[in-house]
Amino acid sequence: MEPLQTSDWSGFGLVFWLFLVLRALVALSFSGAIGLTFLMLGCALEDYGVYWPLFVLIFYVISPIPHFIAKRATDDSDAASSACRELAYFFTTGIVVSAFGLPIILARVAVIKWGACGLVLAGNAVIFLTILGFFLVFGRGDDFSWEQW
Amino acid sequence: MKIFLALEDTFQVKMAGFLDNFRWPECECIDWSERRNAVASVVAGILFFTGWWIMIDAAVVYPKPEQLNHAFHTCGVFSTLAFFMINAVSNAQVRGDSYESGCLGRTGARVWLFIGFMLMFGSLIASMWILFGAYVTQNTDVYPGLAVFFQNALIFFSTLIYKFGRTEELWT
Repeated sequence: MEPLQTSDWSGFGLVFWLFLVLRALVALSFSGAIGLTFLMLGCALEDYGVYWPLFVLIFYVISPIPHFIAKRATDDSDAASSACRELAYFFTTGIVVSAFGLPIILARVAVIKWGACGLVLAGNAVIFLTILGFFLVFGRGDDFSWEQW
Repeated sequence: MKIFLALEDTFQVKMAGFLDNFRWPECECIDWSERRNAVASVVAGILFFTGWWIMIDAAVVYPKPEQLNHAFHTCGVFSTLAFFMINAVSNAQVRGDSYESGCLGRTGARVWLFIGFMLMFGSLIASMWILFGAYVTQNTDVYPGLAVFFQNALIFFSTLIYKFGRTEELWT
């Protein structure tokens, strides 16, 4: 039997390279799915059955927006920070706090049960860590290397 | 061991403190000086919005006006207005160092900041008055009064951290 040629190894190498570069994307997608699963469990389990916690999806969607607005508004990337960027951090933090506050208030007035609240809070934590991961990995700007993809 | 040595020194030099040789463990991984503004912004955001959600919680749990008079929301609104007024002017504008003079110049910036701080302190004092005047001294459930007070106190500390916790040198 002939020894493996270089052309045979190249196919395997391509697959291995793809695995390495895609691992961040796959891992983040997985954690995002886990977070959404927690949220849906908090709504859809037999014990709970109330769908009010889905309103935190609004907070998930709007949480990256201040960052993008600040990035668009001030294009000077040589400064370490800027007033606009800090205001964006302020509002993003506010959106995250609100996503945690809403289920707690819903549970305090017994619109949802505390178990559902706990699941929604866990889902919140996972989703926001996922979004943060996306920004850390893919948000580096023009000089990021292709290995992140 | 270091604390023991320091204690030994104390017995010879009675004025030395026993933590004189104590040093925090060094963490060189993150440059905190560059991140100072971001950390201050995040902490201020957490405090500000926690204050608002405490008030929203009180308003939801105590919906009747006899329990939480709807006029008490005014304190939080004025605190928020004061937050944005105080943080709208940069320290450079107040000193007169800034190249762009804005609409009002240095004196205008100082007047704006003054009015902002007046509103902030006024709201804080009003919230304390509401807590003690309308809740503690009456024979009612005190939680809504505490909520008004904590909302304004948290917004006040958030303003201080956002205003004074950031350094403008990182903007250049």
